[in-house]
Amino acid sequence: MTLRKLNRYFFKKKSSLLLLIVPLVVYLFVFFVYPLTYEVYISFFNYSLGSPTKSFVGFGNYVYMFFKDVQFFVSVKNTFIFITLAMLIELVIGFTIALALNKESKSMGLLRSLIIIPTSLTPMAVGMAWKTLYNPDMGAIPYYLNCLGGTNSAPTLNPSTALFALVIVEIWQWTPIVVLLMLAALKSLPLEIYEAGRVDGASIWQSFKYITIPLMRPIIILIAMLRVIDGMKTFDTIWAITGGGPGTATTVMNLRVYDVGIQQLRIGYAAAISNVISLIGLILGGVLIYILYSKKYEM
Amino acid sequence: MKEHQAYTVRRIMSRVFWIFFILIILSFFLIPIYWVASMAFKNFFDTFDLPPKWIFKPTLLGFKIAFNTRPILRWTINSLIISVGGTILSLALGVPAGYCLARAQFWGKRMMWNGILLTRVIPPIVIVLPVRVFMQSIGLFGTQLAVILYTAVFNATFTAWIMSGFFESIPVDIEDMALIDGCSPIGAFWRIALPLCKPGLVTVTLFSFIFTWNDFLGALTLTSPETATLPIGIMSGAGQLAVQWNVLAAICLIAIIPVMVLCISLQRYYVSGLTLGAIK
Repeated sequence: MTLRKLNRYFFKKKSSLLLLIVPLVVYLFVFFVYPLTYEVYISFFNYSLGSPTKSFVGFGNYVYMFFKDVQFFVSVKNTFIFITLAMLIELVIGFTIALALNKESKSMGLLRSLIIIPTSLTPMAVGMAWKTLYNPDMGAIPYYLNCLGGTNSAPTLNPSTALFALVIVEIWQWTPIVVLLMLAALKSLPLEIYEAGRVDGASIWQSFKYITIPLMRPIIILIAMLRVIDGMKTFDTIWAITGGGPGTATTVMNLRVYDVGIQQLRIGYAAAISNVISLIGLILGGVLIYILYSKKYEM
Repeated sequence: MKEHQAYTVRRIMSRVFWIFFILIILSFFLIPIYWVASMAFKNFFDTFDLPPKWIFKPTLLGFKIAFNTRPILRWTINSLIISVGGTILSLALGVPAGYCLARAQFWGKRMMWNGILLTRVIPPIVIVLPVRVFMQSIGLFGTQLAVILYTAVFNATFTAWIMSGFFESIPVDIEDMALIDGCSPIGAFWRIALPLCKPGLVTVTLFSFIFTWNDFLGALTLTSPETATLPIGIMSGAGQLAVQWNVLAAICLIAIIPVMVLCISLQRYYVSGLTLGAIK
């Protein structure tokens, strides 16, 4: 064994290194694992926050949720529409912008620093800003829409367009991240293939269709997954702009849990819905891991 | 010759098209920001003038009313306390953990990585409710500490994730040599690895701060009016019937300027954090 190998072994065996991670592990157990377990536990009870008693109802909350609660399915549907729409639009627009920015390399730094600003802004402030833009009485958007001939009084007051209005806000804030990731991916594409294609007489469109897209596919899928996962977390902007309304047209599952849990103080039922959300999150996480690992083997 | 000319014309047209496209995109992303900023400096009547006024006479009226009628200073101080405290906590928890993940082999490492991934895929709403119940039961509800402890879950794991990547990228040899010379592994971490990863530290500090500063759900669920943060302040400013839009915009501006400045000035670190945070 060389001296170097001996020391690598020595290094790895030093268990004092593990001390470095113990604080985080303990912390996560208290503030992450425990809350998750509590959610599962309390979902079997009817418990009002602040009341000293809770009554055991077994699967009662879940039965109610799946068989009697119409609003639950509305919120699931809203969540699904919101996330999917946002992800698709972000991918398309983000990819296009990334392609455009990939060409210009002179003022790239300036463009890049400008375009990521929306992602750093406080979502609550973003929500308020768009709320004023969408305001039926004095907002710029309903005004210009009316000028252009639309008859909507306001996108956010109309149950069938409110969700879409929120999707616009979501893509406004988060498309820049997609652009950033796509740019990083585009820059890593091997140039030789393009040259080979040019030698064979491929046009720009052809090299795009037969080289760029297939090479980008794994990254696109990865980014899509990330956006879906992050989309599940959106709360602030929806809360600020519509508060879940009109009616329940924009109540996503997040908001439903908050509604039930803090505004109605029904912790047990809120926990039941939360567990469904966690389950969805776990499934998405599993898919993400699968994608990441199959990508690793491919590369 | 003609073919070459046609080709050049096509190239110029495509150039112009792309530049035009980029300009449209930039305005899409920047106009709402300009809109809020402009609303903050308008007087009351200009704010709901139709057609919307893009050019106007600026005034500080909105800010004056905001500072006079609302506890802006308290909100800002609370936001600062929570953001700084939260950042320190997540650094203390996450950076050593990142080093451990990068260097040590141990049973449960796989589980640790899964745990970190879990904090990313589970929406915070799931955590916030039990944490509130917990905080109320131990009497920490309504304190800044509650929010600090809550946000650190997500910040610390993000920090550990990012830092492990940075630590992995520096060669082990230097630390090995230090070990030969009798340094303890933790000493090697503190004196060698850490100084070499200063960019990584800047990145995770920046992200922890921004994430905590922007947090709304945690503050909404865990604070009381005395400990409310700026995002809560924004929300409270819009609850009334006769909303003063310029006041609201002024509060929004106060909330977003710090993070905007941080993002622009530390842009390199911000971008690296975003890209690293997506790819494992």
